[in-house]
Amino acid sequence: MDYSRIPYIPFVFLVTFAASFISTPLVARLMKNHGITGRDVHKIGGPEIPEMCGLAILFGLSVGAIGYAILVPDSAREAVAWLGTVLIAGGIGIVDDRHPLGPKTKPLLTAVACLPIILLGTYFPYPNLPFIGEARLTIVYPLLIPIGIAVASNAVNMMDVMNGAMPSTVGIIATMLTGLLIVAGEWKVAPLAAALLAAMLALFYFNRFPAKVFSGDTGSLAVGAALGGLAILGRLEIVVVVSLMPQIMNAFYGLSSVGRLYERREIQQRPTKLLDDGRLAATAEKNAPITLARLILAVGPSTERNIVRGMMLLTLLASILAVLTYYMTVVRI
Amino acid sequence: MKRILPLAAIEIFVWIALILCIVIIGRFAFEISLGSATLMERIATQTVRLAISCAAVLLWLVSWKKVTERYFWRTIGRPSETT
Repeated sequence: MDYSRIPYIPFVFLVTFAASFISTPLVARLMKNHGITGRDVHKIGGPEIPEMCGLAILFGLSVGAIGYAILVPDSAREAVAWLGTVLIAGGIGIVDDRHPLGPKTKPLLTAVACLPIILLGTYFPYPNLPFIGEARLTIVYPLLIPIGIAVASNAVNMMDVMNGAMPSTVGIIATMLTGLLIVAGEWKVAPLAAALLAAMLALFYFNRFPAKVFSGDTGSLAVGAALGGLAILGRLEIVVVVSLMPQIMNAFYGLSSVGRLYERREIQQRPTKLLDDGRLAATAEKNAPITLARLILAVGPSTERNIVRGMMLLTLLASILAVLTYYMTVVRI
Repeated sequence: MKRILPLAAIEIFVWIALILCIVIIGRFAFEISLGSATLMERIATQTVRLAISCAAVLLWLVSWKKVTERYFWRTIGRPSETT
């Protein structure tokens, strides 16, 4: 184990946290002044909240990753590939926030975000599979990278529906990933996972219930791509898939119940409804998508804060299963 | 906690099914060989491997969908309670 690399992890964490935390209120003010706001539909009265504050995450991650690349030049290729993927996905999010993209265009465009990883060759086409070990996928692996990035970014995007849901759940996954990357000896990538954790903590402070900022698709697509990038660079593909199960479940339930790719905006029959007392309830509409929030509410109405707690618990369980999956990759049958 | 436990159980079921799926594909489907002497044999081998892998993934997705839908429609059908 190369202990000399350990100090870079808290350094990148602190730099990213400071940059994200300081820039979020500035971005929020800028958005509010320009009238770029979104209605918080899960609150009585539907207050207007500054949108696109994910720009602060992009800034924070850029400061952290560039600082890391300057400080540790032999990790620059990984840092640049990861940051490039994050920024392209964030750029697609900016376009989507200003001029909503179609349900097929968005996943297709987010798949392109993987280009820096492919062009810089920062992938290893031998993913570790549970009980099997390294699988030789030299031809198929580069074809799977765009799919992986598109699935991760859109799954995280579809989970960003309630105050604090996205930063809290991704924060849990980023904590687990930072630990596993250290255990796996992936020192070049571990500080990037720490950067993602720092950005999520900073966003959670402002986005938690009652939200003062919305990250928008700018933030959620970038964060999803960041997780996908960490999976590829850190050789933890299956581990990240398992840790993203609540997000994938949410997206899969929605897609399978509607029967096609869809955009939240185009759904006529809503999966949840706001009650007069401020709580949320699941609708009994046959054609409404069965989202994770609707599943949590199936038992009965609850508050937005409790639903997000439920999502966090499910993500925590998924992260524990992901750690078990990691140890299964070193066992052969 | 009451509203999370069934979903946690579904999550564990999906995870176990995913691991089984990977093992079936990696250890069994890709071990199948119908010969490799001729082009037809190689194509037949690859086709059978792909078909079994696809079937395993499809079975995983369908079982996941069925379990979730069954839970949701049974639960929402009950009289709702206040929390």
